[in-house]
Amino acid sequence: MLTSFRWLQELCPIEADVREVAHRITQAGLEVEAIEEKGANLSGLVVAEVRTRAPHPKRDKLTLVTVFDGEAEHEVVCGAPNVPEPGGRILFARPGTILPNGLRIEPRKIGGVESSGMICSEAELEVGADAEGIFIVDAENEALPGDEVADALDLHDFILDIGLTPNRPDCLGHVGIAREVGVLFGKRCEPRRAAGPRRTFAAGASFQADQPTTDLVPSWDGESEPVDAPALPSISIEIADGDRCPRYGAALVSGVRVGPSPFWLRYRLHNLGLRTLSNVVDATNLILLEWGHPIHGFDLNRLRGSKVVVRLARKGETMATLDGIQRTFTADDLLICDGEGPVAVAGVMGGADSEIRDDTKDILIECAYFAPRSIRRTSRRLGLQTDSSHRFERGVDPEAVPRVLASAASLIAELGEGASATTAIDRVAMAYSPKSISFRPARAAGLLGTPIETEESQRILEALGCRLIEKTDSAFTLEAPSWRPDLGREVDLIEEVARVRGYDEIPTAVPRVRPSESGTPEVLRFISALRTAAVTAGLYEAVNYAFLSVEELQKARVSTDVVALANPLSEDRSAMRTSLMPGLTGAATRAQRHGATEVRLFELARTFHPSDDILPREDTTLAIVLAGDRSGWIGGDRPFDFYDGRGLVEAILDRVIGQRSDFTPGEVPEFMHPKRSAIVSLAAREVGFVGEIHPDVGDALELHGRVVYAEIDVAALHVVTEELGTPQGHALPKFPAVTRDIAMLVREEFTAGEIATALSEASGGLAESVHLFDLYRGDQIPEGQRSLAFRVTYRDPESTLTDKRVDKAHAKVAEVARDRFQATIR
Amino acid sequence: MAEPDAVQTFEDGLTKIRGAYEQALRDATDEPELRLVNGRYVGPQGELTKLLKLMPKLPGDRRRELGQRANALKQEIQTTFDVVLDGIHRRARDAELTGPSLDVTLPGRWPMPGRLHPITRIRNEVLEILVSLGFDVADGPEIELYENCFDKLGFPPDHPATDEHDTFFIEGGKPSGPHSVLLRTQTSTIQVREMSRREPPLAIVSPGAVYRRDDDATHSPMFFQLEGFLVDTDVTFAELKGVLTLFLRRLFDEHVAVRFRASYFPFVEPGGEVDMSCVFCRAWEGDKERTTACRVCKGNGWMEILGCGMIHPVVFENVGYDPEKYTGFAFGMGLDRIAMLKYGIPNIKLLYDNDVRFLSQF
Ligand SMILES: [Zn+2]
Repeated sequence: MLTSFRWLQELCPIEADVREVAHRITQAGLEVEAIEEKGANLSGLVVAEVRTRAPHPKRDKLTLVTVFDGEAEHEVVCGAPNVPEPGGRILFARPGTILPNGLRIEPRKIGGVESSGMICSEAELEVGADAEGIFIVDAENEALPGDEVADALDLHDFILDIGLTPNRPDCLGHVGIAREVGVLFGKRCEPRRAAGPRRTFAAGASFQADQPTTDLVPSWDGESEPVDAPALPSISIEIADGDRCPRYGAALVSGVRVGPSPFWLRYRLHNLGLRTLSNVVDATNLILLEWGHPIHGFDLNRLRGSKVVVRLARKGETMATLDGIQRTFTADDLLICDGEGPVAVAGVMGGADSEIRDDTKDILIECAYFAPRSIRRTSRRLGLQTDSSHRFERGVDPEAVPRVLASAASLIAELGEGASATTAIDRVAMAYSPKSISFRPARAAGLLGTPIETEESQRILEALGCRLIEKTDSAFTLEAPSWRPDLGREVDLIEEVARVRGYDEIPTAVPRVRPSESGTPEVLRFISALRTAAVTAGLYEAVNYAFLSVEELQKARVSTDVVALANPLSEDRSAMRTSLMPGLTGAATRAQRHGATEVRLFELARTFHPSDDILPREDTTLAIVLAGDRSGWIGGDRPFDFYDGRGLVEAILDRVIGQRSDFTPGEVPEFMHPKRSAIVSLAAREVGFVGEIHPDVGDALELHGRVVYAEIDVAALHVVTEELGTPQGHALPKFPAVTRDIAMLVREEFTAGEIATALSEASGGLAESVHLFDLYRGDQIPEGQRSLAFRVTYRDPESTLTDKRVDKAHAKVAEVARDRFQATIR
Repeated sequence: MAEPDAVQTFEDGLTKIRGAYEQALRDATDEPELRLVNGRYVGPQGELTKLLKLMPKLPGDRRRELGQRANALKQEIQTTFDVVLDGIHRRARDAELTGPSLDVTLPGRWPMPGRLHPITRIRNEVLEILVSLGFDVADGPEIELYENCFDKLGFPPDHPATDEHDTFFIEGGKPSGPHSVLLRTQTSTIQVREMSRREPPLAIVSPGAVYRRDDDATHSPMFFQLEGFLVDTDVTFAELKGVLTLFLRRLFDEHVAVRFRASYFPFVEPGGEVDMSCVFCRAWEGDKERTTACRVCKGNGWMEILGCGMIHPVVFENVGYDPEKYTGFAFGMGLDRIAMLKYGIPNIKLLYDNDVRFLSQF
């Protein structure tokens, strides 16, 4: 909400400067995000008087003008079509002046004539949008040649950009912010009561309607200027849906002349970010910015049937809004209709047919209170957010209707040189009843952690507009003001007291946190340990978006049974990932594209899967990708392969679980290499897989070389750790071990793992470990075979082994190698 | 049977060896050469070894005496060998100790290095502080029910308070209402979940991914938040201020100033926002010029860091707590933002690019 500091000062005269005001309202919840000074960048620009005016000798569209700037005359060439007669005053930039846009004015030749200085337009001075012609100083302005422009036109102001939270609709107008400033600075600041119309119809003409009316001249203490009364039409107003439109008021202004607004009004709107259109429309906008209450003007002569009906739309009903778009409504949209059909979308936007035009003479001004939800739903559905809907959906002040109408009628009659009816229709379908709230000072002190004088609380709440109804020793009952829909219960009032005093007034205390019984779930610590282990093992952690395209999932050959987004930002991010693989390998692809020779990444995050429950299933997975070369010491790099992946998984699991994991051939996902992948298990439970990515999938993902990928299911792993329990200590062996080696030629189809297991089992319980220490293929080894050498460590925990026992056990081991694996013992 | 020549041969042999071995051993310049030379005398094919093999051929009366001499010679050779070998080792060590240095600029042999993502890193830092203050960590689903994300947190239906929560909805679920399914827009859902299943006292922090339909230079459609809350009897706003002040000073700098100002979140009241003195220009040091030039705080010396407030009674009512019996406070922060502030990360998109050149900086 852009806010004029000048305007605030007019509404609530206080001494404090703009910085202090900005600081105080920020602390109180009206966050000032920026302050812009106006009128400060115009130094050197002065009012000047036109002395002579003559056509340019060579150029048709240019004029030679002599101006007097209070000190000297200057000859300038001017391209504007509206140079005034001698005696007229304009705004003049002397040579050497710097314009707000940074342009420095230098003497220069235009069409052969020296021009020393420039006569400026509104737009050039950034005080308005008009760039068509030069600015001509109003006849009523008493500025003299040589007066600084900023002073002469009264341009000094500060514009505060206030980031309003949605609970404070009362501050969507200057009156509300001024009220807030008054409370914070301890100044009783009742905004001036709106003056009723000065220009009224002779004989105090009022609506010829059988309707409740309200007097529009409650406080005008000057003389009214009676204007000849035309025949006032009879207008009736009907509210068909009182829930959605509890109150609807209408004033009448007649005989207006639609034209440009005076400069002060245009300047104010320009500074507050609104375009100026015509005096009538500008007036409605000014009223909006003043009271925070949207009003709407209808061209009375375009309302058919002398009536206004507020009703719900019929499904499929249509109307063109004044932005020219044909809108179709549902039965949930509230419309303003005349005798024949819709003329406005209530609280959102007017209709094109009834809008104010240049030839409009008579205006019906609407000021209503619409139910916030209704306006919001319609505004959302139409995708049409306006200054009006923004305020109605937050909640305007229902009790402000007569005041706002009076202000609006007065201003429009004044600016349009028309006249207002002295009464307005005020139709109330559902009367406003203030909420009464009880406030216990002890509760406030308990919640805030600081005692507050009861009198201080009462003073603050009354300053905010609450009305004291009843007061006892322990509590008082108040009625919240009609402009504060956010105040509904005690805690709302406690917040008011706290924020008006300032949160700085509350001391700090460190609580004694009582421990809960359950504490942090073990699995969260476990996940954290897994991350640390992955980093220690040499991986960089990646964090990918959890959504991607179904196409990416397809390309990666992972499940496309997705949880899809109904309203994705783009097709690229329309499905929740079913696997971490596409995201993580995507990072590898990008790294390779950047020329990275070695990629080692992990991600520990969730995947999402449709389920029978109302919420999808979320699985937590640790995924690893290795791509490129594993760097050796000064050269000696070699491509990552399966064993790097396996080693990493072993290292991570060993660190977290303290147990060796098992790797066996088995059914791995389709995107993995069928012959270079393994299932990972721990304590006979499957916990994941590791291997190389299927080369076809690698191609599809634009990965280069062998890419190693692994996944560990965190939930499964956690189950294993729970089962394994805490590691238990054992005494060290008392008796020495004996080692024997066995080397064999064996066919490739037998895995080293299964041979080692068989050898161990064959030892009759004597083998403590079987360790593969040599593997050889090639020269002197028959095709399809390999040479394996195992070191078997024998130990009897109860006694020293004799050679004889070891020989016997080792012979059994060799026998199994020969018999079961058809090995040739070497 | 004894051969008279054998004695002669034996004696000649001993004489020859005795005359030559010492010089030969001492001439060796390194250990392999020394061992080679030594082998020529006492190795399996060595001259002395060969002589000793002649022993059986020696006459009985000389055998003992000659044998002793041969063994004595062998002993002498061994002694000389040891002395020479010691000398060689000493020279080699002296050479290493006095000679040119190792090229220590060659790379070391590393285990593979890795790093945590900056978001994990900041999460760990934040959790360490809050857990040490007595908070437990909790977790919840990223795909949530509308009611847990909004209704039960006191967001009125069709209210502009949801405007900042531009929400992703899940296809196929209910399109609207409390049971429509969405990607959570805030970790405050944890308040509803934990309070619904546990009784006070509760002190909980919960970090996690959240989602909003914003994607521009300063917004990422997925980002990370951390929610914290404490519920007990007699919890006060003063304690909220105490915890957050302590937290920010431990996380950033013990000297930072912390400022609380009023703000609005539907699930807290009184609600506030917390500003911290700018850590880039170190505003608490009072160097006005440096602060004026600071582009991060735009010269005002403060930066917005988190939102907080006393848990709204409507939230307690929605989870079945008695708001007259219990009070509590809650706070929330963007971990992305805190990581960016603390680690000076210039652009939020860097956090989700997973470029190792970036990841290796933390
Ligand atoms: Zn700064």
